[in-house]
Amino acid sequence: MSDAGSGSQELVLPSEYETLERVDEILLGCSRFNALDEKTQNEVALAMIEAVTNAVVHGNRLDKSKQVTVTCDWDPDEIRISVHDEGEGFDESCVWDPTDAEHCMKCSGRGVFIMRATMDDVEFEMSKETGTTVRMRKRTSGAGGGSGGEG
Amino acid sequence: MKVKTQMEGDVALVHVSGKLMGGPESENLRNEIKQLLDKGTTKFVINLKGVPWINSTGLGALMAVYTSVQRGEGVLKLAHVSDRIQSLFMITKLLTIFDTYATEKEAIDSF
Repeated sequence: MSDAGSGSQELVLPSEYETLERVDEILLGCSRFNALDEKTQNEVALAMIEAVTNAVVHGNRLDKSKQVTVTCDWDPDEIRISVHDEGEGFDESCVWDPTDAEHCMKCSGRGVFIMRATMDDVEFEMSKETGTTVRMRKRTSGAGGGSGGEG
Repeated sequence: MKVKTQMEGDVALVHVSGKLMGGPESENLRNEIKQLLDKGTTKFVINLKGVPWINSTGLGALMAVYTSVQRGEGVLKLAHVSDRIQSLFMITKLLTIFDTYATEKEAIDSF
């Protein structure tokens, strides 16, 4: 549901590779996203892709009996995205910087880095009982109508 | 995701189309490059014109291909990299690794 400047939507998705291809569909359903300049759209989309990839592939380990819940809500000032999976999470201290010379040639381990690089805030909440939620926030005031992005 | 290759002289032009999101389909790209390396091909251009989206897993697949080509003493170049993929390369500092060109012709002419 939404009014002129704010709204929200929630989608429950299966844990399969095909879900990753629906990220654009999710974002295009968010009216604030469509009004953003291209740079900010790209940043939000990249973060969303990584969050959903982490949830489907690493969190739920492609177990089709497990679901991924994506919530997107927005107002004129920011977009907030949360992605929840049923996995146990990961050790944040083990996330390395993939731009370091030591790691830059590795084939994996860039997802969390990309989320943090493209969004203003990224927080993880992990629980063995209830699963893992990543909450991301992007300030968008001034990023609509081609007036330049942030971050 | 689809992978189709044509030879332009001694350069293999590998056209990829669809979203590069990892998964079993990414193996198609790796296998295609491996087969070409086995046949002695050393010059590669991957045309990403048909790839609107990529995630870090797809980026990993490109890194794996890059490493395979390097090990085979070959050279890999990328053509038609979209703005979204370009920004992903910038964020992850992979622009310093991948040699990117606006068009396929420019990539071929650079060998």
